[in-house]
Amino acid sequence: MSGAFERRLRTVLAERYHDRHPFNLRMHAGTLTPTELRTWVRNRYYYQTRIPIKDGIILAKAEAPEFRRAWVRRIHDHDGEHAGEGGLAQWLALAEAVGLDRGEVESLRLVLPGVRDACDDYVRLVTSSGLLESVAASLTEMSAATIMAERIAAFERHYPWVSEQGLRYFRSRTILARRDAEGGLRFVLENARTAAEQDRCVRVLERKCEILWRLLDAVEAASARPRLASAANLRSDAVSDADLVVLPERAVRLNSAGREILGLCDGAQSCEQIAAALRARHPEAEGVESDVHAFLGHMLRLGVLEAAP
Amino acid sequence: MSDAPRPWNLVAELTYRCPLRCAYCSNPVGWRRVPERLDAPAWARVLGEAAELGVVHVGLTGGEPTLRDDLEAIVTAATRAGLHPHLVTAGTTLARSRLETLATCGLRSVQVSLQDVTAEASDAVAGRAFFEHKLACARDVRSLGLHLTLNVVLHRGNLGRVREIVALARAMGADRLELANVQLHGWALRNRVALLPARVQIESAAQVAREERRAAARPEIVFVLPDHFSGRPKPCMGGWGARTIVVDPSGRVLPCHGAAELANLAFWSVPERPLRACWSDAPGMNAFRGESWMQEPCRTCPERGHDFGGCRCQAFALAGDAAATDPACDRSALHGVVVDAVREAEDSASPALLYRDATSAT
Repeated sequence: MSGAFERRLRTVLAERYHDRHPFNLRMHAGTLTPTELRTWVRNRYYYQTRIPIKDGIILAKAEAPEFRRAWVRRIHDHDGEHAGEGGLAQWLALAEAVGLDRGEVESLRLVLPGVRDACDDYVRLVTSSGLLESVAASLTEMSAATIMAERIAAFERHYPWVSEQGLRYFRSRTILARRDAEGGLRFVLENARTAAEQDRCVRVLERKCEILWRLLDAVEAASARPRLASAANLRSDAVSDADLVVLPERAVRLNSAGREILGLCDGAQSCEQIAAALRARHPEAEGVESDVHAFLGHMLRLGVLEAAP
Repeated sequence: MSDAPRPWNLVAELTYRCPLRCAYCSNPVGWRRVPERLDAPAWARVLGEAAELGVVHVGLTGGEPTLRDDLEAIVTAATRAGLHPHLVTAGTTLARSRLETLATCGLRSVQVSLQDVTAEASDAVAGRAFFEHKLACARDVRSLGLHLTLNVVLHRGNLGRVREIVALARAMGADRLELANVQLHGWALRNRVALLPARVQIESAAQVAREERRAAARPEIVFVLPDHFSGRPKPCMGGWGARTIVVDPSGRVLPCHGAAELANLAFWSVPERPLRACWSDAPGMNAFRGESWMQEPCRTCPERGHDFGGCRCQAFALAGDAAATDPACDRSALHGVVVDAVREAEDSASPALLYRDATSAT
């Protein structure tokens, strides 16, 4: 019975883990531009910062000292025993190795709204789930060792400009992920006894995979080059000062900020470049990048914009 | 002029004639008493005035709008007025060559209605054999590069085939699929037991719609939980006289396609008055604008600002008072009427459908 359950968990990972995401495939195939790679590193850092927080939440759900003793190691792994050590510090070293400013990454100022939503959903998922399901959500680590090994090889081969210092996180996770995954899987297999419990574990692991997938969706979207959709007609409104985008099924009224952003959507500049251009025009405004990405995402969903091929 | 809100859409009901006899037709039951009074120049005048009011989209609908041989002139007039013309057709009588002409007149998007995924099931609801014509029409729309919406009214008889419906829409290359749960007005109210689904059908269809939305970006899938099952009234038309102008074939200006059947409401007509006056000042138009007409529990309900107390036509049909809270709302004292209707339908075998224009005695 538990053999069938374990197979179900592994099937979820085989079918839905983000190693199959087009952005990850491109990363490993070596076709990401340096800008795309930086976007990923900067945004994935937000996910890294959520890990010790969700592990703290899981700790607080556990009654058994032996569980807490084992699980608390995960927090140490990410935060280190001392400042400058641990997984978060290693990720910041990666950020510097790909050419990012450490302070900017740490400030989380340029984290994409879609990435923030996905990572916050993970913390919420763990917060609202029981101990068993929370641990089941972490089982994506069963696939982490493999993806890390592939990543190291891909970086060495395709992105040689990233120094060895930057790869330390991947190297240490290859070992730690295996240890964590084994512990987590054992706990889930021992504690999910009823069919209902097993179903819940499978569902929560699916949702976790979905969260990781959404993170890469958002990162990928940042490098899309938006332009006015072919079905969209931009014109001035007959009865107000606004501009309208008229689509077959809806009309969207643009305020002056919307008009300014849409004016930069020429199919040549990426969402990130557009956000940077608006930041340069409005150096004092708060949260420009995040607002621009949220607006562009919304317009893409509404069909006002489409991504240029 | 009163401070009427800006209308965004005009629904131009060009004719109530139709080759189909759908058992849930949304035209007025008394459609034969509504004369066709607007020729193409009259429609052109209405469309120009609509643009001045702020209207952006015009839906050319019916009945079957392609039965009018001056449709080309009406589409041209809409385009000249700066409106986005959208044709809503059953696809039974529209040849590719005519569609091509309409596109050169400025037509940009077409909605084709489908009843089901097979000819047999489709014809059983439409009362006529036109399934293949509809598919051919939808294909023509796509091959001419026009935006294609497929609209399928969902009911007890086809809710189990939502997956197949989505697959068909995808195969046709539709941009948008409207899965429209049947609205129980007019003809459909006479067929309520035959059309009302079981709750479990609605829930599994909603799940399928969610899964299919996730599976692919296109078509855009619209599925709204029907009011008889959600316990919440629908924000009908985005509010009475708030966003949409309906002009019926006689030129009467209405807030929705069913409002003409409400007793004691005076609406005005475009042959006699400017569209602006018909929209802003007709007593019927102002009867349910704003909130002052509301009764309890709507009057003090925190949700009145977004559901507007539901559908006035449904309130009239089920509560006998168009100003009552829509009985679809579980806060209505008469909600039991809706609960009983759902239960009655669940407990009954499907009776035969009564087609549009069949006499109710049969």
